[in-house]
Amino acid sequence: MMYFAFLFGFCFVFWMVGVSCNPSPYYGVLSLVIGAAFGCGLLVSMGGSFVSVVLFLIYLGGMLVIFAYSSALVEEPYPAAWGNRGGMIYVVSYVLVIVGYGAMCYWLWSMEGYGSVTIDAGGLFVVRLDFSGVAWFYYFGSWLFLIAGWGLLLTLFVVMELVRGLSCGVLRPI
Amino acid sequence: MTPLHFSYHSAFIISIMGLSLHRTHLISTLLCLESMMLSLFIALTMWPTQLQIPSLMLTPMLMLSFSACEAGMGLSLLVASSRTHGSDQLQNLNLLQC
Repeated sequence: MMYFAFLFGFCFVFWMVGVSCNPSPYYGVLSLVIGAAFGCGLLVSMGGSFVSVVLFLIYLGGMLVIFAYSSALVEEPYPAAWGNRGGMIYVVSYVLVIVGYGAMCYWLWSMEGYGSVTIDAGGLFVVRLDFSGVAWFYYFGSWLFLIAGWGLLLTLFVVMELVRGLSCGVLRPI
Repeated sequence: MTPLHFSYHSAFIISIMGLSLHRTHLISTLLCLESMMLSLFIALTMWPTQLQIPSLMLTPMLMLSFSACEAGMGLSLLVASSRTHGSDQLQNLNLLQC
């Protein structure tokens, strides 16, 4: 059972390799979605259900959906697919980097064992660690909360100015 | 280092290599940036879980909100460059080329 979470970690790294050496952004977005799903599984296996749900909602459901729609800006009549292209050398080199890094960790820094502490390691509480941790936002971190919200509002206006275009935008036609 | 830590370490290394070695499209670069943010989120969540400190759970939440800002900014730059150059191909971004 302990090594079941290691499977999530392995699949996560596998799909991140797929993101980095994607033949076309359509496949890159798909690889990122599936990799994020396995990353959520990794967090759930350590007991962090709340942060996993937040990752699913905000990251997958918010940001990656926008990326999937923005990949329509990639206007390729014949998008490349996996295999049969010059980019296969990237796949091989990334896999070799992971294997090399793993070998270095194993022999130099003794990566072995499992050694994972889950969220319930302090005993059984009514509220788990991730729920009670994020609730600090509303008590000690209220100013931080307000400043982060202010930053997000500012980002909205910056984005609106960037995509305005015409003759008064940041990037304009030459 | 345990295998769980190795997973997000190697994911970050692969993503940063993909960011620097992208070939044709700008959106592939933004996707590698997003995968870097994902590996950082997993790292920041494993930290309070292993040390059993609840208050450090604020950091991944904060990082996620600011990475949403950054993703929006990157996509608006993609839209703007697609508007001026016609596509998001990186060979078209050659104003500084001699």
